[in-house]
Amino acid sequence: MSTRRPQFNQTVLIDTTPLPDDIPKVQEVGASSAPLLSASYFIGARCRDYNDDYMQCKNENPGRGEFECLKEGRRVTRCASSVIEDVNKHCLEQFTNHWKCLDNHNHQLWQCRPFEWRLNKCVFDNLKLEKKIPDQPQNVIPVEQRPQQIFADRKFRSIEGKPFVPGQEAKQ
Amino acid sequence: MAQDMPPKGGYEPVQYKRNLPAKGFRPGIMLLGMGAVMTYGWYKLIVGIREGNELAREKMWARIHLTPLLQAEEDRDQVRRYWADQAREKELMGENFKVYNSDRFVRPTYAVTPQPTK
Repeated sequence: MSTRRPQFNQTVLIDTTPLPDDIPKVQEVGASSAPLLSASYFIGARCRDYNDDYMQCKNENPGRGEFECLKEGRRVTRCASSVIEDVNKHCLEQFTNHWKCLDNHNHQLWQCRPFEWRLNKCVFDNLKLEKKIPDQPQNVIPVEQRPQQIFADRKFRSIEGKPFVPGQEAKQ
Repeated sequence: MAQDMPPKGGYEPVQYKRNLPAKGFRPGIMLLGMGAVMTYGWYKLIVGIREGNELAREKMWARIHLTPLLQAEEDRDQVRRYWADQAREKELMGENFKVYNSDRFVRPTYAVTPQPTK
């Protein structure tokens, strides 16, 4: 991949020519950064295999991945779109609250834990997708489940909700 | 002539020690206190650094999960522009010239302005 950045004048240089007809059409995700960050772990949970396929294809076709991996890329996009769509259908309120909080807090995940717990609970109940950060140390509480965050600007109050631990619903 | 003799009963003792009140705790206690404060500070620092590491891991994995999605979208757009460019060249010049001595995809540094499409 070349690292040269194209010098585009975006107001003039808009090329709207579509892809040829023999390439299947795919709707782009179209979400901005905050919803994507908010949904990233659910995308990762459902689309891990597609993502890995795509990255492997890119790896096996150095310099040609742009052409060779269009099919894998479409699968990646369709899968991510399906996750965003499902989250929007089942957990619209929690999702909106969380990504708006992220937008207002410089995309710092630790500032928005109460919203995140509610979103995680809703998504786990409805879609069975679980936020899991790989490679975390086993002997401590995972960072997204700690009731207080050291780096947060404020203390979370208990009425804002409890940390959501998947699979511990029966105990609470 | 009589010599100068010491006074009767000897001289007064000479005060060579300073007579300062002992302020604060004993040095040993001060040292222990300093150690306690530093231990507490290091403890809080290490706890904070470890949480920071976990937060960094969380952010990194969020980005890892999103990278294929963003890259796929970008690749599709680049390929679309490239093929449109090739088609335009073929229409204008009659054939496609190979400008690079390789088959790799090269991001365009310059782009021609296409006619405005409806």
